[in-house]
Amino acid sequence: MELPAQTTMGRHHRVLMVSDFFYPNFGGVENHIYYLSQCLLQRGHKVVVVTHAYGTRSGVRYMTNGLKVYYIPWLPFFMQNTLPTFYGTFPLIRNILIREGITIVHGHQAFSTLCHEALLHARTMGNKVVFTDHSLYGFADLGSIHMNKVLQFTLADVQQAICVSHTSKENTVLRSNLPSQKVFVIPNAVDTAMFKPDPSLRPSDQVVIVVISRLVYRKGADLLVEVIPAVCKRFPNVYFIVGGDGPKRVRLEEMREKHSLQDRVEMLGAVPHARVRSILVRGHIFLNSSLTEAFCIAILEAASCGLLTVSTRVGGVPEVLPLDMIVLAEPVPADMVSAVGRAIQLLPSINPFEMHKRMKTLYSWMDVAKRTEVVYDHAVNSDSNDLCERLTRLVYLMYYACGPWAGKLFCLVAVIDYIFALFLQWWQVSLSLSLSHTHTHTHTHTHMQSQRYYSPS
Amino acid sequence: MEDADKHKDLKRSEASGCGREGYGIAGKEDRAWEHGDADVLEGRASPREQCRGVMNAEAKAGKWQKVVYGGMQNGFADNYTDSSFLEAMVMNANVVKRDTWTTVRDSVVISQYLSAVAMVATVWTHSLKAPVDASFLLLLDALLLLLGFVIVLLTTDYISFASLYRSVLHIVFFVCGLYVMTPIFQTLTRSISSDSIWASTVCLLLVHLFFHDYTHSTVSFTRAKHSQGVSPSFLANVSLHASIVASVLIASRLPSWQSVFSLMLFSLEIFLLFPLVAYCIQKWSTAFHLAFSFILTVVTMGLLFPLNRMVFYLYVLVILFITFVCPIFLIKIQEYKFEINGPWDEAKLCFDID
Repeated sequence: MELPAQTTMGRHHRVLMVSDFFYPNFGGVENHIYYLSQCLLQRGHKVVVVTHAYGTRSGVRYMTNGLKVYYIPWLPFFMQNTLPTFYGTFPLIRNILIREGITIVHGHQAFSTLCHEALLHARTMGNKVVFTDHSLYGFADLGSIHMNKVLQFTLADVQQAICVSHTSKENTVLRSNLPSQKVFVIPNAVDTAMFKPDPSLRPSDQVVIVVISRLVYRKGADLLVEVIPAVCKRFPNVYFIVGGDGPKRVRLEEMREKHSLQDRVEMLGAVPHARVRSILVRGHIFLNSSLTEAFCIAILEAASCGLLTVSTRVGGVPEVLPLDMIVLAEPVPADMVSAVGRAIQLLPSINPFEMHKRMKTLYSWMDVAKRTEVVYDHAVNSDSNDLCERLTRLVYLMYYACGPWAGKLFCLVAVIDYIFALFLQWWQVSLSLSLSHTHTHTHTHTHMQSQRYYSPS
Repeated sequence: MEDADKHKDLKRSEASGCGREGYGIAGKEDRAWEHGDADVLEGRASPREQCRGVMNAEAKAGKWQKVVYGGMQNGFADNYTDSSFLEAMVMNANVVKRDTWTTVRDSVVISQYLSAVAMVATVWTHSLKAPVDASFLLLLDALLLLLGFVIVLLTTDYISFASLYRSVLHIVFFVCGLYVMTPIFQTLTRSISSDSIWASTVCLLLVHLFFHDYTHSTVSFTRAKHSQGVSPSFLANVSLHASIVASVLIASRLPSWQSVFSLMLFSLEIFLLFPLVAYCIQKWSTAFHLAFSFILTVVTMGLLFPLNRMVFYLYVLVILFITFVCPIFLIKIQEYKFEINGPWDEAKLCFDID
């Protein structure tokens, strides 16, 4: 409603990425947002990121290529999530939306409360909304049931949704009752330039198997406890490098002592992402033992370093790589061990450099950005933003999909948000908010055309 | 001949290596890769290559593949939904079909225990109203103990002298301990009004019934067999303690220490040992179990009827509700059971973590 210029249909978007998860935190979502934003910037769009404050990192920061990041001063209370307040973030989000002249709000990750709130407010303000789901959820436990209700509420109102794999799309469609044509599948990618192979660092007389993951139940640390000694027993020239920390590290160390494998299993502890490549290039085989995984970027990084991957056949993992680059196994110790055996047999036929070259053709963030652009175009060209229409749709969806109680509650939340928006508009007239000046880039990015649509209106 | 065998082998490994739901069917970008790869794998037709042969044919036919590598698939937008969408979804895979009769029969365990507790409560009321002769109650205790012991002995397959000896020793210790403690129990609640005692007792009994472990998974015999050293669940403990406190509260209202002792012994026999005996009977014979429950219910009804008409009706209603209404309701709501499983589920580990 208060957008200064509604004329930027089509090619150039002004995107607000919202998620609780961003740098300095590290993981798949953070990576995705960062690289996607960078590529979108390069393609001439304006991108602003909103996340919560991390420690003393609060306020506005600029990252590479002038990527503007708002670290809004809300403290995380559980697993890097902000406390859900429904309306607490509205004034701030509204300011950002108006100041930056945002046209599209892109939320990431289903369990980010900040993302849900921002999407709600953005819809109230009449912005187009896109949501990316990065993880898989079940249907049976209490936590999942609650999450799925919230997701239904948020997704009832988004223009388009993006999933990172086909399995993830199936999961999201089931959880949110979204029509499947509204859900796009756009995978993650890998920065192949950062993960180049270097076979000279590999020992020639040994087969080195690298494991890098958080050592937690969901990542299959317990499976590792069974698999590592069995593999060591069967293949005497195998050497393990285990990177990562977590509650299950104690169990792995116990296993190492129990089977006297101190000289064959190297435990590195937590590995900063900058050092991941230097560990990966030491190995021949990358072992992923996750019990659930929507996509798994770690596999891409390993493949880009020329490692053959052995992985559990869970979630979206089978879609990630061609079958000659990955050996899949059921999440059962015996099957994992035989898969490692198959991988060792395949090793002589693997050329790390060709693997790397091939990864370059298979994945690139630029490709991801291009495909995301298509989704933005779809979102911009989608239906109107009339509140009544929105509410009818919400009521319909909610009543039939969410059950009568949750449905009414969600409608109430949406209506109050609208009233709150009117109040804010009266209190803080949007024209009085100064539009943010476009950051002029010190870098030589001639294709940054953002100046064009920031002339103050 | 050898080739044929090899081919068979390949087929098999293809089935296991190439995924179940047509996962990982390689895409068009394989073409660039093919040349280098074919050289390397020369003369060694790996299962993977066999797989790829099939896949390339499919890729050429312009078929959609369930993969995410290699950019957007030719001719298919990112929001394309294939006919194989949700093919791997399984609905209601683990749902157990229940029939009414079995459910009713299984619910008897609950009504049986409820009857036992109701019986204890009536005995309490009777002995508080007009003190029952202590020696009569003591005789009843002894009889019940003996009966329970005999039943357990008859129904268990393995009896060793050592375990028998241990059980007897336990009972002797238990009875002696109780006997020594009796004077304390007798004067424990002298300064508290009877109403408060009754109110808290009723609450405690409700807590006991609510948290009682009706599956008998914490009964000593099975526990020892299944998971050694693991303590019974917390709630079962709460339930047991609630019942013991209730017995102490009631017994402390009695005038003589003999009756305190005999009533305490009676209540504890029911609360501690009855579940074990009931479990043994249930294991041994279903018919006997049902008959036993029926007799117990009738006896309880007989005890309740002269005591209070309202309580009697309430009891009958609750028993009918538990035995018939609840199971039928359970069967009815089974229709709405909707369980979804699929490749997105978290894999379950097939081994013990501990």
